[in-house]
Amino acid sequence: MQPSALATLIRIVLAIWLIAIVTSAQADPIVINQVSSVNSADIHFPEAIPAKPVHLPDDWSQSRPKYDGSVWYRASFDRPAGTRPDELLAAYIDRACTNLEVHLNGHRIYSGGRMTEPLTRNCGYSHLVTLPAAWLLPQGNMLDIQLVGSALQRVGARQRSGGLSEIVIGPQAELAREHGSHLLWSIESVELISLALLILGGFMLGLWWVNRGETSLLYFGLLLLGWALMSVRVWWRDLPLDTATVEFIGSCAYPLLAAFAVQFMLSHAGLRSRFIEAGLIVQCLLMPLTLMMGGPTRIFLVANAWYSLLSLEVFATIALYLTVTWRHRRLNFKSMLLILTCTSVVMVIEMAVQLQLMPLPRLPLTHFALPVFFLAVGSRLLQVFAHALRSAEANRSSLEDRVKEVTSEIERNFAQLSELRVEQVTEKERKRIAADLHDDLGAKLLTIVHTSESERISTLAREALEEMRLSVRGLTGKPVRLADALADWRAETVLRLGQANIEADWKGPAEEVDHLLPARAYVQTTRILREAVSNIIKHSGASHCKVRSSVGERDFGLLVQDNGKGIPMELDGKLDRGHGMSSMKHRAKQLAGQCLVESGPGYGTVIRLTLPL
Amino acid sequence: MNNILLLEDLPEIRAWMKQLVLQVFPQSLISEAARVHDALELITAVKFDLALVDLGLPDGSGVDVVAALRESQPEAQSVVVTIHDDDDHLFPALQAGAFGYLLKEQARELISEQLKRMSQGEPPLSPSIARRVISHFASQSRPQERPQNMPHVSLTDRENEVLLRVAKGFTLPEIGVQLNLSRHTIADYVKQIYRKLNVSSRAEAALEAQRLGLFRR
Repeated sequence: MQPSALATLIRIVLAIWLIAIVTSAQADPIVINQVSSVNSADIHFPEAIPAKPVHLPDDWSQSRPKYDGSVWYRASFDRPAGTRPDELLAAYIDRACTNLEVHLNGHRIYSGGRMTEPLTRNCGYSHLVTLPAAWLLPQGNMLDIQLVGSALQRVGARQRSGGLSEIVIGPQAELAREHGSHLLWSIESVELISLALLILGGFMLGLWWVNRGETSLLYFGLLLLGWALMSVRVWWRDLPLDTATVEFIGSCAYPLLAAFAVQFMLSHAGLRSRFIEAGLIVQCLLMPLTLMMGGPTRIFLVANAWYSLLSLEVFATIALYLTVTWRHRRLNFKSMLLILTCTSVVMVIEMAVQLQLMPLPRLPLTHFALPVFFLAVGSRLLQVFAHALRSAEANRSSLEDRVKEVTSEIERNFAQLSELRVEQVTEKERKRIAADLHDDLGAKLLTIVHTSESERISTLAREALEEMRLSVRGLTGKPVRLADALADWRAETVLRLGQANIEADWKGPAEEVDHLLPARAYVQTTRILREAVSNIIKHSGASHCKVRSSVGERDFGLLVQDNGKGIPMELDGKLDRGHGMSSMKHRAKQLAGQCLVESGPGYGTVIRLTLPL
Repeated sequence: MNNILLLEDLPEIRAWMKQLVLQVFPQSLISEAARVHDALELITAVKFDLALVDLGLPDGSGVDVVAALRESQPEAQSVVVTIHDDDDHLFPALQAGAFGYLLKEQARELISEQLKRMSQGEPPLSPSIARRVISHFASQSRPQERPQNMPHVSLTDRENEVLLRVAKGFTLPEIGVQLNLSRHTIADYVKQIYRKLNVSSRAEAALEAQRLGLFRR
């Protein structure tokens, strides 16, 4: 089916092309597809050997399987009708693989390059052969073409096996346009794309260099660079190596590229596996070995077996990759699905071409389409990367804010903590001092109280002990509810006065009070009150004592009144020490309050204590 | 009062106390101890009627002696004799089973008077101690803090009335007049309050120990 299908296709293409030519130039190009051919390496068409008629395009794998070397073709043609006599004519040859030389009426008029190894490899190029008017006859021109090429078995792909396309003869200007367009699409575009791949690949490697965690960038960069290098042989005709070597090296590049592609997809999906990596490396080593074992005559067989395997691997990876992205990141999925599906289709077509299920395409499909998809993936990667960069930037600034927040919080906490610590240490120290005072000073004072012969000294010591206890309580104390303080004072005062047989009349505030009294104020007031009661018991000779307490908005007051003989004038003038009036006043002043004493002989004593709350 | 335990670390004070106790109870036999360890040993050997216990001792707290005595000799009366007059120090001793407290620096006459009263069943009760007792029983009566296996001790209305008035600063004789009760009845209420405080505190302590896993069922 292949030759006929190929012929049909080319006929359709040419028909379209012809219509284009006709409509634009009104000229009739001649399409030559009946020639005679001889397998010969002579420098001229061998007239002596009988030639065989051949239908163009001539695919060597069909017409002369396993033939490797030089073939002469001879076509005869008349000057195309409708061309002006002075119009420059040319022959256009779409495909001549590997290289050719053209003779017109016995004169060599065109050479594609070196005709012996290392050959000039023109498989991707089309040829425009200008037909010199001097040697061109109006009728019966002989066009001899010498073609050197390789048997299909000796090359890795059908595109590079020997073959000659149809020959078109027409006005040079028209054919030059066709030639230019063919060159543009099959050679120059590949060059441009390779250049783009090189740049993008280098860029990817650079990105990977600064982001070592992103191994997918590394593999993608390597894939792009590798592909760009491999595309070199499409447009670089004069490689200084013979065909067998070029085919060997070129075939060996594929497992490497497949490995890069597989690793790229796996690492991009976050699915790296040591097992697979090892397998890919082994594969890269195994392929050259099998090619060498197969020898130069089985390159096509061995290489295509490998290509099938590699393609299957890539397909499996694509399926795996798409499954994983579909599960995790729907966002990326659609674009990747599109790109990878197109990639797979192109690969399937290429496989079909190699297995001769499809005719050879006019354009280097693989070298043209796949890199375009690579570029699409690359731009998608860059987009994702830029997006990640932006969100990283946003994250960074929000992180900075957060760090600032946390730092100030830590500072605040630290300040609070150290404050708390100071409080704790102070509290502990207070307790220690209090305990020391009790155990040491308290015990000594107590001993004096109970062992002293002198009543005066034991009284002094007892008072000192009482003072000490109050001080300690002031040191360690918490605020006291005013109601509780009043209850304590009442109980003590009434008890003491009762023991001294003095009638006590204590009235507190009518309603409940819920003010708090600082420990210091509680202790000082206790002392003042205790002092006042002591004075009454010891000095006043009173029989009745009235105490009133009142609580106002901002202060509270205590009034202690007795019906005793009062404080003698002369003593009051000197602020009597024995009665402790001065210390009472001093204590009240310390609390920002005041203590007023009113007394007159025979009228008793009134002490008014006012303290702020 | 026959057998009296006197626990006090300062020799002079101990001598002074001994002399004072002998004055109040001339027939008594006094066992002296200067350390918690010695006192605990004496408790296992001698049956006491009265124990005068100092709180701050070189090898521990007198509270332990009060608790041990309450456990082994419930009939014995423990009285805390201390330099600390604040309820932070006194209340644990009262919870452990002390029946009253004496302040060391008080005059000899006052102490002997109070000692006599206590031995006759009239323990003292200050407003701040009364407040502590009130809040203790208030927390006990909250049902969520009292599991079923804990014996429920609650104060009677009269006991509560007495406590509340003491907490407000009224003296026991004053309360007797206000409630129209005799001095002995008031004293009985106070004794009952101390007893209930001890029972409920011990139940609480046992429960706490169970919670901490000291007793495993």
